[in-house]
Amino acid sequence: MRHSHRKAHRLIWPLLAAALLAGVTMALILRPPPEKTALQAEVAERLA
Amino acid sequence: MSTGFQAVQWNRAKIVYDISLASGVTLYIGGYMTMARALAAPGKMPGWDDLRIQAFGSCAFFMISIILAIGPLARINPRFLPLLYNRRHFGVLAFCIAALHGYFVVDWFALRGALPDFWGEITTASNYAKFVGITIKPLGIAALLIFFIMAATSHDYWLNVLTPPFWKALHMMIYAAYGLIVMHVALGLMQHDYSPAIPLVLGGTSGTVALLHIFAGLKERATDAGLAPDREGWITVGPPASISDKRAKIVAAPGGERIAVFRDGGRIGAVSNLCAHQNGPVGEGEIIDGCITCPWHGWQYKLEDGRSPPPFKEELATYRVRLREGVIEVHAGPLPPGTPASLVVPA
Repeated sequence: MRHSHRKAHRLIWPLLAAALLAGVTMALILRPPPEKTALQAEVAERLA
Repeated sequence: MSTGFQAVQWNRAKIVYDISLASGVTLYIGGYMTMARALAAPGKMPGWDDLRIQAFGSCAFFMISIILAIGPLARINPRFLPLLYNRRHFGVLAFCIAALHGYFVVDWFALRGALPDFWGEITTASNYAKFVGITIKPLGIAALLIFFIMAATSHDYWLNVLTPPFWKALHMMIYAAYGLIVMHVALGLMQHDYSPAIPLVLGGTSGTVALLHIFAGLKERATDAGLAPDREGWITVGPPASISDKRAKIVAAPGGERIAVFRDGGRIGAVSNLCAHQNGPVGEGEIIDGCITCPWHGWQYKLEDGRSPPPFKEELATYRVRLREGVIEVHAGPLPPGTPASLVVPA
């Protein structure tokens, strides 16, 4: 690898790692809650 | 080495590598489909058309993660170098697996007579105006296009035509493709499969790849910082004995390309650390049969003048070396490729 390629690598990877960490975390936080199964809905209704 | 352009040559190592690859992929896909059906809850048996999408998609993700990990691993520890020799075959196979994953997705819609839905999902502008819920297919298609460009230009013919620096820069597009794949999974499968294994495997695998690259980059930073040459441009290498026999010591001027200073018995020679083939690190190789041998693909150069032995015609830039008060010094200015510049030092 050339000096310029190594320099690019050192710049790209921390940025890519930060972008992926933010992207995956946001995708995890913002995902809709799982739909309740019929049994779960019934239990929740009784408890209420 | 090549006389300009050389057709693919097969050797035992390549055949073993490819057989191992094919076996690994077959075992993974077969194992995934068998286990997924065996572990499925009663009444929730996934269909083969769903399973093949998952199996080939996850296989492509793991293959690309491994391909990306090989480079930094080889820079951190030379024991991983054998994995690097045939990495292009690994990449082309990963593209084929990813392409099959894409084909199975299209086929899934075709089997249900829903190809217009597939097309509509991709072409509806409102599907792109959100983060969670964005249509993920274009992310996969964009990554697949990048893999196609890389697979199509992976042959040495294209390396010759495009030149190693441009070829390397072009193939660095894989980093963008990897980001697209990770988000393809995070905004796709992870949004409707609530198994904790999905974020753990996705984050763990991509995080490991990123950390390996960052660590390898930091490790090489000191060498790249270089050694300041004196007023006349000479860089101190060290006493001849500080260079292991038939090996090299790698030095660089600040901001300059690396120089590999080799010792073969009493002969000292310095060449560019960039192999003429793929810009591999020749200085991490050794002298075999009297020739500097690149550790990546075995291209060879004579220590005296940086030229490949006949009939091959590749040449490396050489550097002047001198012995001053028992210390080897190399001049930071490269000489034209193939210029004799080695030195014999007294035993």
